[in-house]
Amino acid sequence: MRSSFERHAGRCSRKVGLMSAATTPDLSVDLAPDNPRELRLRNPVIAASGCFGYGEEYASVIDIDRLGAFVSKGVTPERRAGNPMPRIVESPAGMLNAIGLQNPGIRGFVKKYPPIWARWTVPAIVNISAESVSDYAMMAAILDEQPAIAAIEVNVSCPNIARGGYCFGWDPQMSAEVTRAVRSATTLPIIVKLSPGASDIAAVAVAVEEAGADAISLINTLVGMAIDVRRRKPLLANYTGGVSGPAIKPIAVRMVYQVAAAVRLPVIGMGGIMGLNDALEFFLAGATAIQIGTGIFVDPGLPIRLIDDLVRWLNEEGFSSLDQIVGIANDGFRSGESSALAAWESMGV
Amino acid sequence: MPCLAASAAGCASKKDERLPPVAPTLEITGASREFESQVLSVEPIMGDAVLLTVSAPPAVLSHLLPGQFFNIVTRFAGSWDPLLRRPYSVYRADRDASALTFLVRPFGRGSTWLAERLPGERIGMLGPLGNSFMIPDRAQRLLMIGGGVGVAPLVMLSDEAALGKLDVVFVMGAANESGLLAASELADRVEYVVATDDGSRGHRGLATEVVAEFVQWSDQIFACGPEPMYRTLRSVIEPLRINRRPKIQISVERGMACGLGACLGCVVETTHGMIASCVKGPVFDLDEVIL
Repeated sequence: MRSSFERHAGRCSRKVGLMSAATTPDLSVDLAPDNPRELRLRNPVIAASGCFGYGEEYASVIDIDRLGAFVSKGVTPERRAGNPMPRIVESPAGMLNAIGLQNPGIRGFVKKYPPIWARWTVPAIVNISAESVSDYAMMAAILDEQPAIAAIEVNVSCPNIARGGYCFGWDPQMSAEVTRAVRSATTLPIIVKLSPGASDIAAVAVAVEEAGADAISLINTLVGMAIDVRRRKPLLANYTGGVSGPAIKPIAVRMVYQVAAAVRLPVIGMGGIMGLNDALEFFLAGATAIQIGTGIFVDPGLPIRLIDDLVRWLNEEGFSSLDQIVGIANDGFRSGESSALAAWESMGV
Repeated sequence: MPCLAASAAGCASKKDERLPPVAPTLEITGASREFESQVLSVEPIMGDAVLLTVSAPPAVLSHLLPGQFFNIVTRFAGSWDPLLRRPYSVYRADRDASALTFLVRPFGRGSTWLAERLPGERIGMLGPLGNSFMIPDRAQRLLMIGGGVGVAPLVMLSDEAALGKLDVVFVMGAANESGLLAASELADRVEYVVATDDGSRGHRGLATEVVAEFVQWSDQIFACGPEPMYRTLRSVIEPLRINRRPKIQISVERGMACGLGACLGCVVETTHGMIASCVKGPVFDLDEVIL
């Protein structure tokens, strides 16, 4: 492994001296450098799946075409009514959700949304969820033929029915199997969204990289629970829900750091980003782009403000492109060594 | 004119003299909008609740309809706890004073924070959101039923109905007299009927019990209160209706995250499926809601 000094010296050599304040730093990112269909974004700020509807929900509140991209709510093979209420509950500096993937199903989805997206310039990424490998592939094949779809984000945080409901994303081989199936069904850029429930998330990342993913996004929510003391029952009708928001940010930053060291693919970081400093932590840890989820719920203007804040910060710090800061806090960035952050370090001892 | 609208206007203009004008933080581009309000006044009401009056851009007020709500930030800037905004329907809108009034009862962390605000402080707002109560064109006699702080959107609705010279019976229930809305909060032409659990004022018992005598008089019913109230209301009203008339519009209360139909955390189960109460509600036809 090269020393971090050598790597950083190599990357920084593209920049000569401080840029003038009048120049706008280059925020563009390429999230599928090896894919001929490309996934070039004008900036690295992406609205996360589940938190942005299908885009149109926010179209009257923010200038949606300024976003780097957005990811749709999770689409499934068949229509889903979702979970009973209550579906959300607040937690300290965060929230739990158990929406249950309420959506019109892949066929209802393709009829309605791609025609709306075709009128926008912002790249639209479709998040897909399924309970069998073949269903993932079936959805990818349908999406491959649709207009106005920039990429597919594969949510592997779903139960694999063929394996007794064990989550695909907790197992490197099962995650790779899904990735391979989706890869064989589409030439669209594929982002695999990892589950923080995996015992070795870097191993899952390496497996999906080898299976043909173009990029990796993380982290999905962490499984949590809150209990209604008065009723002596879990608060959510589904009992468990995904924890998101600022409360999970340190976990997300650590996992992005580990994964960005283990793979060479672009990494899209997310988990509790509420402002510029949070976003910078993810870039420095090795994320090429970021997603904003829960932050949009509480602050719809956040993603657009972040784009402006990033430009200002890069200017102030003398960087001419975002690329120059990606991974510079990560000693093993893109080294391909999943041990860059040793197990004992990640345990905090 | 409703009496409180006049007092809120007076209050707002008095405060405006010493406070800087408030500009929206985001350019208003669509039907839903994010902006910052300034607290203009906080007055006690209905026991431990407060009437919180805040500034709002004229463009927001001009769009506003009775029953619509705002998703309000209930924490200090720089804090992420409690994280989610809180939905509040509008109690009263004063277009002349560019002011909005909300009825806030300290209950959880968010509502307690909101009830403790002081004039001059700033609060993040998103709205107006959701659909609204709709007074049918030919309706002349309106029956409104409010439970606790659920009276809030009905006060704005009754203000509008009174301006339109419609006949309104406004029924309110509370645990005791101190929890009731003062009659002076409602327009003169609104007939105010109250019920208290302890009989300290009006009918002893539930508001839904006094509703029966007005059902056949009315040609449209509006209700806002806790969900058990709607179940009781349905059982009281159903035997008195003919061909499912009069219709009953209810405003449901749901915890929510986005307020824009994106998260689907606030759905209501209806005969048409799971519907996001923040965009297709909060007002629903009681006949279509599965309680």
